[in-house]
Amino acid sequence: MKVKDLLGHGFEALSLPDGDREIDGVYIGDLLSWVMGRAQMDNAWITIMNNVNVVAVASLADTSCVILAEGVAMTDELKETAEAKDVNVLGSADPIFETAVRLAGLIG
Amino acid sequence: MKELSLNILDVAENSVKAGASLTQILLTEKDNVLTIEIVDDGCGMDEDVVRSVTDPFYTTRTTRKVGMGIPLLKLACEQTEGQLTIESTTIEEDPTAHGTHVTATFNMDHIDFMPLGDVSSSVLTLIQGHPDTDFLFRHEKDGQVVELDTRQLREVLEDVPLNSYDVLEWIREYLREQYEALS
Repeated sequence: MKVKDLLGHGFEALSLPDGDREIDGVYIGDLLSWVMGRAQMDNAWITIMNNVNVVAVASLADTSCVILAEGVAMTDELKETAEAKDVNVLGSADPIFETAVRLAGLIG
Repeated sequence: MKELSLNILDVAENSVKAGASLTQILLTEKDNVLTIEIVDDGCGMDEDVVRSVTDPFYTTRTTRKVGMGIPLLKLACEQTEGQLTIESTTIEEDPTAHGTHVTATFNMDHIDFMPLGDVSSSVLTLIQGHPDTDFLFRHEKDGQVVELDTRQLREVLEDVPLNSYDVLEWIREYLREQYEALS
């Protein structure tokens, strides 16, 4: 499943420079240094953190997209950096667990 | 990094890479505020570099495009409503008194305060990896002090390398005893 295919299923695009990226698996975590060493390439990464370091970790781990759960807002700095570094960021209004369950249903 | 001691290790490694002959790691705990200072006499950074080291996409490494040492320390202290400051003087600006001074403050009673963790191990890792440069470690906790200065050790040990097994074990024990003596 591609990142852009999540749109309309409770996920909204906050920064989508590369919507054609394939999602392979999911990682969940908020401690950035922890995620940095554990998220796998092409994972969709669900988090509530929205500082600019998130883009750096997504870029390092080469995740297919970041999903900001709990309706966490995108800061201007995060948006600018995500677009500049080609990092996809989606938003979900639901808490992390519900977001993960919905995602699991979609990616199978 | 669930412990600040690993952040400290990361930032102190930058000091060694900057050619520091002495790197000081100074921790002060007072009135529920933890101040971590990493002070070196390395080559220093100009203003542009100082500004960019808090940017996670800045790194001096060539193997990857992201440097997370300072950005993560900054995040960790800002999560407790503390702050991170960096002052630096380059060797060109002042050939005698150059280097970098990183200061991070943490409100220890904030719920997002990460535990300090095993700082002794971080200090040992630094000495083990860089036996030819000096480290001053000082942890002041409500007026009481734990301290280690490799310059003093070097005087006593003369030609024995600081990263020999016996010396490292002695340092470990020396720090452990000092921490135990804190009431």
